[in-house]
Amino acid sequence: MSPTSVPSKNSEAAPKRESAGAAPRRGGGPSPLVRFLVRRVLTALLLAVGITLVTFVLTNLVPGDPVAANLGQRALGDPAIVAQWKAEHGLDKPLPQQYLLHLQGVLQGDLGTSQQSHRPVLDDLAEAVPATLELAGTAILISLVAGVAFGVIAALRRDRLSDHVLRVLSLVGISVPTFWLALTTFYIFFYRLQITPGSGRIDPGMSAPPHVTGLYTVDSALAGQWDVFASAVGHLATPALVLALYTIGLLTRFTRSAVLEVMGQDYVRAARAKGLPGRVILFRYVLRSALVPIITVAGLAFGSLLSGTVLVEAIFAWPGVGQYAFKSATTLDLPAVMGVGLVIGAVYLVINLIVDVLYGVIDPRVRLT
Amino acid sequence: MAIRSRRPRAKAALLPVLLTGALALAACSNGGSSAPASQGGGTAAKTLVIDTSFNLKTADPGRTYEPTGLIVGKAAYDTLLTFDGSDVTKPVPSLADSYELSADGKTLTLKLHQGATFADGSPVTADDVVFSLDRVRDMKGTPSFLLDGVKVEKTDETTITLTSKTANPALPYILPNPALGIINSKLAKEHGATADPGDKAEQYLNSASVGSGPYTIESVNISSQVVLKANTKYWGPKKPVYDKVVLRNVESATQKLNVARGDSQVALDLSGDQVKGLPGNLQVNKTPSANVVFLLANRNSAVSETTSNPKFAEAVRKGIDYTGLLELAGEGSVQAPGVIPSMILGALPADQGAKRDVEGAKAALKESGVTDPKVKLEYPSELTLNGLSLQGIAERIQANLKEVGITVELAPSPVTTALDNYRNGKEELGLWWWGPDYPDPSDYLVFLPGKTVGLRAGWKAGADKEIEAAGDKAAAAIGDDARKQAYVDVQTKLNASSPFIPLIQPSQNIVTAASVTGLEFHPVWTVDVADLGTK
Repeated sequence: MSPTSVPSKNSEAAPKRESAGAAPRRGGGPSPLVRFLVRRVLTALLLAVGITLVTFVLTNLVPGDPVAANLGQRALGDPAIVAQWKAEHGLDKPLPQQYLLHLQGVLQGDLGTSQQSHRPVLDDLAEAVPATLELAGTAILISLVAGVAFGVIAALRRDRLSDHVLRVLSLVGISVPTFWLALTTFYIFFYRLQITPGSGRIDPGMSAPPHVTGLYTVDSALAGQWDVFASAVGHLATPALVLALYTIGLLTRFTRSAVLEVMGQDYVRAARAKGLPGRVILFRYVLRSALVPIITVAGLAFGSLLSGTVLVEAIFAWPGVGQYAFKSATTLDLPAVMGVGLVIGAVYLVINLIVDVLYGVIDPRVRLT
Repeated sequence: MAIRSRRPRAKAALLPVLLTGALALAACSNGGSSAPASQGGGTAAKTLVIDTSFNLKTADPGRTYEPTGLIVGKAAYDTLLTFDGSDVTKPVPSLADSYELSADGKTLTLKLHQGATFADGSPVTADDVVFSLDRVRDMKGTPSFLLDGVKVEKTDETTITLTSKTANPALPYILPNPALGIINSKLAKEHGATADPGDKAEQYLNSASVGSGPYTIESVNISSQVVLKANTKYWGPKKPVYDKVVLRNVESATQKLNVARGDSQVALDLSGDQVKGLPGNLQVNKTPSANVVFLLANRNSAVSETTSNPKFAEAVRKGIDYTGLLELAGEGSVQAPGVIPSMILGALPADQGAKRDVEGAKAALKESGVTDPKVKLEYPSELTLNGLSLQGIAERIQANLKEVGITVELAPSPVTTALDNYRNGKEELGLWWWGPDYPDPSDYLVFLPGKTVGLRAGWKAGADKEIEAAGDKAAAAIGDDARKQAYVDVQTKLNASSPFIPLIQPSQNIVTAASVTGLEFHPVWTVDVADLGTK
């Protein structure tokens, strides 16, 4: 039989391979990866609009009067002051019109003016987001390195002492409330042992490095201010470690279970039977397959780190999004609350997009169509 | 079957290595202690670090009305008059050398000090004064009520006249408020300042200061920190001692550790419990704050048939254990005998405070005709006042009144929700406080029927003509003795028949390093940074 006249299993499989992300396209059309990305970006934009609606509705559903929350006791008794304040913040318009104006502003890159700081919310966030990114980014970096390493060690040394020790440690990391850990860490290492620096991003007597990225460690290094760099790194280490311990525990458990599952697969046995070195099997066969669930957890963990830094930021007086969000929420600063919601939502969308793309890169079986 | 790692022990030891490494990294920045006189690349020669829980919206003096903003305003902007230390009974000269109130109390004439200069070296003029005060009044910002109806005029280059439509003997006590700081009008106008609601100078004034105070503003972040630097050209007699003052937004538990460790030199917001057991080398200043915590029993029968009965309010007043509340509030707190706090003219003597009388309370309750009363007590749940939680006070009141036969249901809610009910006069029983807008007894006339706080207790104008007449008399009284007597009379009447039950003035606990001198708690601006020195 001619292979061209009778379809074989191989000929059926061929078009599927072509539709995979890395395969070239006939006819010069956009590759599946590009189509996938375009589709995901469009979906993300729709979701972003949805986020603006949800944050707007939820923010305005909160019981309480923003005028009462923002004006002093005496000023509130003056109708002229109240009227001017409402007009300044667009609260004299009906809710649907307020939402449309908000949406219009967002599309033009204007998140409104904070009722607390009287500055554009975008300017406030431009100061707060880098601080949180520096903290959460460092925490996720520590988590990835330590969590994956510990998970692999625990899997390789299953049911041995080191596995048990790591199991206990990871459970402690997951179980201990972050605020408690932050308080006790601060108390022991800063106050009792006096080996870590205190509150804030740098020592209070120092001036912030010239603004480039907003990340003090990077900006101080770029400016060659090494004393500021050392201070910034020192101040960053403890809160980042505290924040990371939960995700280290989580990643350790997930990595261990994923690695153990892959190690039981036939192709790993086959590789072992072929006499391949353990390191090759671990990195080429086991870890690559195990990375998919690990990346899923890491993506979610990063999102939750960004939005979950409120307590750590409060205890370490870290001027990030968490502190800004807390202050905005407790003073009913509606534009600021919506701005924070939008930024956190956008971060989640971007992370999900990156995670989806990474699936395709790591595991060719994952179709991008 | 396991894949063996070549160096399992080394890898297993990774956790302690990582932890140690991170902590070593943290330690490499010298532990972060900032001695008051630290030296180094990015550090100032003499830095003072003040930790406080921020309540800050702006550094524009014309819009400032929050405690942290007033600290900043006091440091960066001089006012026409001020107070000496913590004594708020007598305004003293600042940018004005002297003042004189007319016999009818409507005209205040001030003579300006010659030679005062702004931080940029330009002289402080009468035109700057007129523009600054007009701007505060007409911008319609939060503090504009301070000068409501007050006309500001320049009589000549050294004389300013403030004219009110009615007698305004409180004006000399209002002028020291940092919101009425004098700004360099030329510089401010260049950056959008106008004396109307269209003013655009706030953003500029949040990044720079245009005042004549002992410090200037280097940077402001309303969520994290404010940095002040010494005004090297300060015209006044008390030159700034520190080159740089950093105010940091730090929650109280961390404030305690920071000041004990030496990372900060001043902690402003510690509770009575937190100042216990501090190292002996720290100074603890415990002073009754100017905040008066009070209970209100709504007089509006549409809100509550129970609390609107005056005899019920009397039963509550007699049923509360004030000594127990003071134990709860901690050392330094005092009972509030009236709504006017102890440091302000017209305050009632301490021995006139209400005392617990359970039998009297039961009798009053019986007289009220209300049987088995059940009332809801509302208060903000998450706020602390001078480190004191209102939750504890509410629980104590609940237990006290239970002994009298009154069932109190506690209804804590977030401050934004609680404020809504309070300000709209919808609370049956409310637990709140009042801090002075300015240290003058006239600020407390708001508790009268038909006034701001009176209305929040459902006490409408005309509800008690005798008290209202006493209030009118107090507002028009001129001279310290006459005013003192008039306000004592108002408070005595309020205690007898108003819906308000003054409870306590919690202690303001300020902790400083041993090296810091000159600290005095001030009821308006908490602490004057310029008064702080070093040994």
